Amino acid sequence: MKDLVRMRTSLKEEIERILNEQIKMEAHSSAIYLSMASWCDRNGFDYSANYFYKQSNEERNHMLKIFKYVADMGGTAVSPEVTNVPQDFAGFRDIFELALEQEIAVTHSINRIVDAARRVYDFNTEEFMMWFVKEQREEEYVARRAVELFDVIGEEGVGRYMIDKAIPKISYDGGEAE
Amino acid sequence: MPTDLFAHTSLTELYSNAKGATFQCDRTNRLIVQFGDARIALRVADFVTFKRRVDSVDIHTMLFNLDDAYDVEIISAPRTDHLFVLTLCDLIALRDLLDGTRFVLDLNSLLCERLYTSLVY
Repeated sequence: MKDLVRMRTSLKEEIERILNEQIKMEAHSSAIYLSMASWCDRNGFDYSANYFYKQSNEERNHMLKIFKYVADMGGTAVSPEVTNVPQDFAGFRDIFELALEQEIAVTHSINRIVDAARRVYDFNTEEFMMWFVKEQREEEYVARRAVELFDVIGEEGVGRYMIDKAIPKISYDGGEAE
Repeated sequence: MPTDLFAHTSLTELYSNAKGATFQCDRTNRLIVQFGDARIALRVADFVTFKRRVDSVDIHTMLFNLDDAYDVEIISAPRTDHLFVLTLCDLIALRDLLDGTRFVLDLNSLLCERLYTSLVY
């Protein structure tokens, strides 16, 4: 009797399912960042708005990267339904705290995928996900640094203006020692 | 596990219950689902999609909502002309049939993988 399941794809159904969940999570992140960009735009934080537009685009590219992987492996990539996107936020600092929380949640989710791939000996998916493991180091660093700016600069006086200007300058050197 | 009926064909019975049976056709690489009077042939990818649709029905709502609209569930089989109109009992039987089929497919896949590995060594 032929093995019809493996004729379709070597991707296990469980892995295909969690990758599709990750596609949805990245799409949701992209939508949240877009919503944050809108909030920043309408409250006069131009630089931060641009930062979030860029972040939103990055998250969509992450989504597409996983989407393409599932499709290339012969699986079914599901175009995600994005719901429950908050449109209003408590304040300037809250947005960045929420963004950091979101990045930490994504890191945990990616770790779970790597763990699941290892459990079923899916080294292909594990190797593919390593790009995301590394990417999350940068994403988390940038998000954390943004929150720290609120403590370092302070929000009083022209503080918010200074923070807004400093946001796009945050960069990650990959942890390389000089 | 070929049945007498299909002993001389490329069909192999995978799983059966009181309401139906499923077969694998090695010539066309299709899965044949016989459920009540309906008989459909599905590629594995379509079988997975069909199973997902059947599994996604909210049985709790069907059980407790008294509205006529919740008495039956209509599910289309991917890339076939067939629409399944399922009562609660049908739905449970179809789920069992598809679950059993999926189990046998995975078991066969596992066995093939093991056999292939032993050939390598």
